[in-house]
Amino acid sequence: MTYHGYAGKILRLDMTNRKAVAIDTAPYRRWGGGHGMGSALFWDFCTDKTITDGRHPANVCCVMTSPLCGTIVPSAGGRCEVVGVGVGQYPVSWFTRSNFGGRFSTMLKYAGWDGIVIEGTADEPVWIDIRNDQVLFHTADDLWGKDTWATQQEIRKLLHIKRGTQAHWQNLDALPLADDRGYAEQQSDRTTQKPAILCIGPAGEYQTPHAALIHDAGNGAGQGGFGAVWGSKNLKAISVIGTGGIKVHDPKTLLRARMITKEKYVVNWQTPDFHAWTRVGNLPKPLIQTAMPTDERRPQACQGCINGCRSRYNIGYGNESACQETFWYGPYVRKIAKNSAEDTEINLKSADIVQKYGLNSFVLQPGLHWLEHLYEEGILGPGRQIPSELPWQSIGTLDFAEKLIHALSTKTDIGADLAEGWVQAALKWGREEDLHTGALQFSYWGVPEHGYDPRAELEWGYGSLMGDRDTNTHCFNYIFTNVSAAFAFGKPLRIGAEQMVTLHAKKLSPYAKDRPEVLDYSDANMYSEAVAQLVRWQQHYCRFYKNSALFCDLKWPDFVNTNVSNFEGATGSLDAGEQVFWNAVTGDAISFEEGIEIGRRIWNLDNAIWVLQGRHRDMVHFAPYIYKTIYKKGEIFPFFMWTCRDDNGNWRYQDLMGRSLDREKVEEWKSIFYQLEGWDSKTGWPTRTTLEQMEMGYVADTLEAAGKLGEDAS
Amino acid sequence: MIYGFALPSEALSRKILTPVAFKERFPAGRLKPPVGIIGGDIRSLVELHLFLEPDEATLPGIDLQTLPNWIAQSIGDPELAESIRAVVSARNNYVEGCQKVYELVGHRLNQARMVLKEAT
Ligand code: SF4
Repeated sequence: MTYHGYAGKILRLDMTNRKAVAIDTAPYRRWGGGHGMGSALFWDFCTDKTITDGRHPANVCCVMTSPLCGTIVPSAGGRCEVVGVGVGQYPVSWFTRSNFGGRFSTMLKYAGWDGIVIEGTADEPVWIDIRNDQVLFHTADDLWGKDTWATQQEIRKLLHIKRGTQAHWQNLDALPLADDRGYAEQQSDRTTQKPAILCIGPAGEYQTPHAALIHDAGNGAGQGGFGAVWGSKNLKAISVIGTGGIKVHDPKTLLRARMITKEKYVVNWQTPDFHAWTRVGNLPKPLIQTAMPTDERRPQACQGCINGCRSRYNIGYGNESACQETFWYGPYVRKIAKNSAEDTEINLKSADIVQKYGLNSFVLQPGLHWLEHLYEEGILGPGRQIPSELPWQSIGTLDFAEKLIHALSTKTDIGADLAEGWVQAALKWGREEDLHTGALQFSYWGVPEHGYDPRAELEWGYGSLMGDRDTNTHCFNYIFTNVSAAFAFGKPLRIGAEQMVTLHAKKLSPYAKDRPEVLDYSDANMYSEAVAQLVRWQQHYCRFYKNSALFCDLKWPDFVNTNVSNFEGATGSLDAGEQVFWNAVTGDAISFEEGIEIGRRIWNLDNAIWVLQGRHRDMVHFAPYIYKTIYKKGEIFPFFMWTCRDDNGNWRYQDLMGRSLDREKVEEWKSIFYQLEGWDSKTGWPTRTTLEQMEMGYVADTLEAAGKLGEDAS
Repeated sequence: MIYGFALPSEALSRKILTPVAFKERFPAGRLKPPVGIIGGDIRSLVELHLFLEPDEATLPGIDLQTLPNWIAQSIGDPELAESIRAVVSARNNYVEGCQKVYELVGHRLNQARMVLKEAT
């Protein structure tokens, strides 16, 4: 069988017995890649799917690529998906996912692997050394205790990796030489690339919740606590170097679609539109959330990306950090910084600290806000009800950041109480009221709100609630950012509300095609069947296109695009839509909707796993403050603009701040959602009919045996 | 910009440069298109000034309507509050309002620093 896009085999790592086995990719082909394959592998190889803590020895962690990894598909070639049971959520740590970029997934493919399945637990720390087909287990005694950057440097030293890329070939001389190899094959065992290394830092070694996996300087799988999962398996790092390539089914079509993306959908370099409304087609933009530290920078990207949202600077800090980690400490730094240069420097150095410790900074955003609240209220601190010897009076300094991260990563000071999760700590400290008042803004599943409050941004909130974690899926929320920014500057809107929803609805096939009302977030429509269809579309789209094909969340989908005369974006288009790239690489002939259907199948498999873990609709609810308090106007921004219909049915952009969610109505909305999914609305469990329709009768059998199969509606 | 307010007294200058108690903090966030908003709060005029400093990457998020009350009541500078109220009501858009408030606060901080420097 010729594998187009696929390497053709998957690596099973038996940590307990230190054995590596190759299995064929073919039986998993129908799951696409990435998340879908990972869920299917978890289903097959996790012997106890009732576990609710990712540190359990039975947990199986899959690190998965996609057929598109290592190709030129725009902003899809360099992402990598991680799945398994997570750590630190509340009330249950679900089977969950995370995702990171860089060059690990591509190197894994070049080495001949579509993914890695990590099972069991080593009896002492090890690191894995993959060089094409050769897989070696090494003791990691000398690496244990090192931060993520030092670990990677040390591994490069151990592998005798030379510096520089032009004149210095790395020789994979440890590879066993087959007798019949010709010259070309010998050549293929040499590369100018460095190995790609994914590893944990101290936070993972101590198995703290929200410990991350880190690759290179700043690529991290943050959510899910997979660093703790690796720590529990005594797995310090996986290094991979490969010299192979990836067979593309139809290079001509792939190249054509890529050129069409450039020429039609992406901003024209000669006459750049700095304020274009598009996702795939914006000018390359660094995602740093503070002022730039210097102009002396060069962009840094995941392999194959047309954006490059990160930077490498000439100043020696902040390299490859972007997005939230560059500002997790921001609100405190500005309390002590003398100017914006110092503000940026402390923020970026604090980003470096979390990268090195391998800690997910996302949790610190609302988490530190809460801890500061407890300190200022006289509850937390030296000699107080919640004892802490951290220098809280110097919050905002680099010294405090380092001490805080150290404590959280090593389970010392308050890190000891936070070791099982933040909501768990609140309950332990007798601070349940903070979940009701919103002093602790962890909106769902014991994880933090994301700046898109569920009381305003419905698809984000509902999507997280019906899933397994903060969804972190930016499919639609540029509506809020673009429109709110235009309002802030008093600029004319590039696209009016009615045109906006109409353009979206054209692409919301199959559930909401030409149904613009799915984007009506008004009070009158917020619990409707239409919004449920939107959430379904997003979940299914993401499970396949983003989490399995690994199109980058920051660039896809592209619904509207002001670079195109009719404003229709690239998503689902016949010239450069997601399915065009997929088909060109793999040789499949799927339609855009068939991709969504694969996503529905993956979503259903995930839900079956959650059900085995103990999920029931009664436990699917937001944190109490979402129902009890209003999203205060001006709390974090003066307005939260979104598309709504008024009483006369006319579309407009409307500010959604100032409301809460109604618990009863959310319950009604859940019933609608379950029914649309073909799940039992009494329990939220999948039914046999639904599963069999997707050729998952074996999943129905397992659920039935566990007494957790949903009843078909009579 | 012409600043219409007089030099603050020594006592007021101290207030202007002193952070308020935690309970008196003023909510503020930061918007980074296209990836989101991050919450926080403000506890001093020095911090407010840094917060409002224009940068190309992000937009400050603050309620300009209620800000003057906070400056009058929590910081204790009714004159600055009045000036801010005036520029906010005359603004063409939110960002312009933020910029004008940034300039006013910067001027007031300079005044306070100068007064205290002269007093020492
Ligand atoms: S936009 Fe950023 S995160 Fe996404 S693929 Fe490109 S470089 Fe990676």
